Amino acid sequence: MKLAVFVSDYRLTVDTLDRLNPEKLGIILVQNGVYHATTKENGKPSSLLNKSASYYALLDDLETRGLGNADVADNVKVISYSDIVDLIFNEYDKTAWL
Amino acid sequence: MPTTKLGFIVQRAGYKSENPKLALTHAIASQSVEVYLNDGDIVTADIAFIGDGVLNCKKDQKAMDIYKLTSTETHIKMSLLLDLNVMVCKEDLDRLGMTENDIVLDAEEFGAELTVKVVPFAEITKMMEGMNHLLFF
Repeated sequence: MKLAVFVSDYRLTVDTLDRLNPEKLGIILVQNGVYHATTKENGKPSSLLNKSASYYALLDDLETRGLGNADVADNVKVISYSDIVDLIFNEYDKTAWL
Repeated sequence: MPTTKLGFIVQRAGYKSENPKLALTHAIASQSVEVYLNDGDIVTADIAFIGDGVLNCKKDQKAMDIYKLTSTETHIKMSLLLDLNVMVCKEDLDRLGMTENDIVLDAEEFGAELTVKVVPFAEITKMMEGMNHLLFF
């Protein structure tokens, strides 16, 4: 299964994401999830970025919070709403929202 | 001449919920209650950003451009304009890799004289001890 997971919180209270093991995983950081892409808590990038996955962060949600491309970790691609539509329709079979 | 002290503690990041902005709007609104008070009575409001709440203080927020919403940044500046005491926890800024350069510190463009104070958590604790009412958001 090709699964795209939307992550919209900075603090995750469940470990569902760790249990998911699709053949292809995309993690789309939106809303407060974008902090995973930018924040280095105690000098370390978010552990969420350690998975074998393709990472994306929504530019609109970054900019709303005073963040931009320069703040984003190297393994995260900054994308637009229309890019998300492309991902949903062309790259992944299913989507989930955590 | 009684003074009622209100403490607003913001501990969540902004925009996902209305919580942080509610704290600011309530604090700002508290300064317009004179009509309900007896002569000489005062209400003061202090606002402290702790934990992930310090993320609200990031400057250059573009919420109006993107969400068509006033930004938390603007609300912090309005608080300064009303001479509210705005504090940001230094330890939490450090933990999240942020410095004073990253956050809203003043509202000079509005003529505000007060600035945001970056303080150790101990000072925020001291503030909380002196409040009549504490509200956590």
